[in-house]
Amino acid sequence: MILDDLTKSSGEWLRGTGPESDIVMCSRIRLARNLADFPFANRASRGEKTEIESHFISALNHAKLDLSYIDVNGLSILDRKFLVERQIISRELDNGDGPRGVAISPLENVAIMVNEEDHLRVQFMLSGFRLPDVWDAVNQLDDRLESQIAYAFSPQLGYLTACPTNVGTGIRVGVMLHLPGLVQQKQIDKVFRALQKINLAVRGLYGEGSQASGDFYQISNQQTLGKSEVELIKILTDVVPQVLNYERSARQHLLTERKQHLHDQVSRAYGVLKTAQTISSEETMLLLSSVRMGINLGLIDDLSIATVNELFIQTQPAFLQKLRGTELGVEERNVARASYLRSRLSNGRQGPRL
Amino acid sequence: MMCQRCHNEASVHLTEPHKGKQRELHLCVACARKAGLTMPEEPPDLSLDAVVQSLIVANVGELVGELALLVCPDCGIKFMEFRAGGRLGCPQDYQVFSAGLVPLLERFHGASRHVGKVARRRSGAGLRLRLRTQLRSAIAREDYEEAARLRDQLRLKDSQA
Repeated sequence: MILDDLTKSSGEWLRGTGPESDIVMCSRIRLARNLADFPFANRASRGEKTEIESHFISALNHAKLDLSYIDVNGLSILDRKFLVERQIISRELDNGDGPRGVAISPLENVAIMVNEEDHLRVQFMLSGFRLPDVWDAVNQLDDRLESQIAYAFSPQLGYLTACPTNVGTGIRVGVMLHLPGLVQQKQIDKVFRALQKINLAVRGLYGEGSQASGDFYQISNQQTLGKSEVELIKILTDVVPQVLNYERSARQHLLTERKQHLHDQVSRAYGVLKTAQTISSEETMLLLSSVRMGINLGLIDDLSIATVNELFIQTQPAFLQKLRGTELGVEERNVARASYLRSRLSNGRQGPRL
Repeated sequence: MMCQRCHNEASVHLTEPHKGKQRELHLCVACARKAGLTMPEEPPDLSLDAVVQSLIVANVGELVGELALLVCPDCGIKFMEFRAGGRLGCPQDYQVFSAGLVPLLERFHGASRHVGKVARRRSGAGLRLRLRTQLRSAIAREDYEEAARLRDQLRLKDSQA
C-alpha cells in the first residue's frame, strides 16, 4: 500500500537543497479553489462531497497528472496523523468527516487536498528559498486542473472561497524557517512583531495555532485580495532575506562571543541523540535543532542536513508507529524513538534504516 | 449564577460602591455590554478563526434590518449563520451578502477588488448549484412534477459539462 511505501522515503522538501537551505527548510504555495456548481465543503452533503471527489479524480485523469489519490476518509487515525506529520494534509482534513482525500506526487512536492475547508487546496513545496519556482509549478498545476474543472470565480472578487479571508487569489505563500539563533538570542519576538506589523502571519511547524517546535517557524501572507500573486510573493521574497540576515548575525554572535558554550551545547545534543535509550518528542526536537545549527556552523561534520531534516519528521509519533507496524504508548514510543535515532545517527549519511 | 437583568448565565461579576455600600453586579456578556461595561482586555487570540470572528463582529456589528434577514437562495445559509460560524455556504453568498461582506473584506485585505490570475470564463457555471437546491425543495414540498422537470434540466447540464 502506498502509505507504507512512504515510510521508506521522505519528501523532496526535506532534502536541504536549494538556496539559503541552512535556514529556509522549504518554500510552499497553496491555492484555495472551489467548484462552481457545489456548495462549499462545510455545507455540502455527503453525496455532494462524493461528487466533488469524483469530479476531481476524473479531472486528474483527463489532465494526465501523475498523482496518487489517497482516500483519507478510509484511513485509520494513525495513517491520518502520519500524513499530517509529513505535511501532506492539514489537521483540519485529518479531523474532518465524510468523503475527503489528498493527491500527492511521488516526491511529495504536490499535495492537493479535497474537501478540506475549500473543495481543493492545491499545494506545491520545494526545499530551500525558491518561491518563484514554486509559483511557476503550482500555477501550471492549477491551469491543468482548471482545464477540466469549472472554478467558482467572480471578476470582482476573484476565486471564491469558504472563508472571506482567502478570497481573491486564494493564495498562501509561505516559507519554513529554522531560527535557533534568534530564539537563543531572545530576539525572536521582536522579529515576529515586525512581521505581524506588515501583515505577515507566523506559525509553528504544524500550522495554525501549533506551538513552534524545533525552532521552526512558518511565515506567510494573510492578505489574498487586492494584490496579485506575484506582488504577494514579492512581499515574502523581499522580507525573508532580512530575517535570514538577522538569524545569521545571531548565529555569528553566538559563534564569536560564546563559541565554547555553543560547541558544548551542540556536541552534547548530538551525543544524547546518538546514545539515549528513551527520549521524548519535545527533547528530540530541541536537540535536533541544536544539531542542525551545529552542522550549519561547521561544528559537526559527519552528519548531513537532509538526515537531520528527515529526523524532525521521522521521530514524530505516527511515523514511529507506522515503522513498527503497531500502536505504541508514550513510553514505548520514547524507546522506539531513541532506538531509531541511534540507528540513523550511526549511519549519518545514509537513508532510513529499517 | 443568573444574570440580574435577563435569565442567561452571568459571566461578568463586579463589585462597585453604591450609596456608600459595596454592591455586587452579576450580568451576562450581552447585558454587561448594554450597560456600557467594557470587558477587561483579553489576551489576543491569534488563531485565524478568532481573528475572523472578531473582524466579523467589529465590522458587521449588531445586525440591523435587512442584513439580518438575508438568506442565500442557492445554499440556504442565513447571514446570521455566517456571522456565527465565519464560513460561507456557497460561491453565490458573496453576491447575496455583499452589503455585509464588503466592509469585512476592506478591513481584512485593505481591498475589495481582485487583482491577479483570472479564471477562464465558463457560461452556466454555478447554474447546477441552483437547480439542485430547487430540486431539493420541490421534493420537500412534494411537487413531483416540478422535481422531474428540474431533474431533467440537471441531467442535461451534467451531460453538457
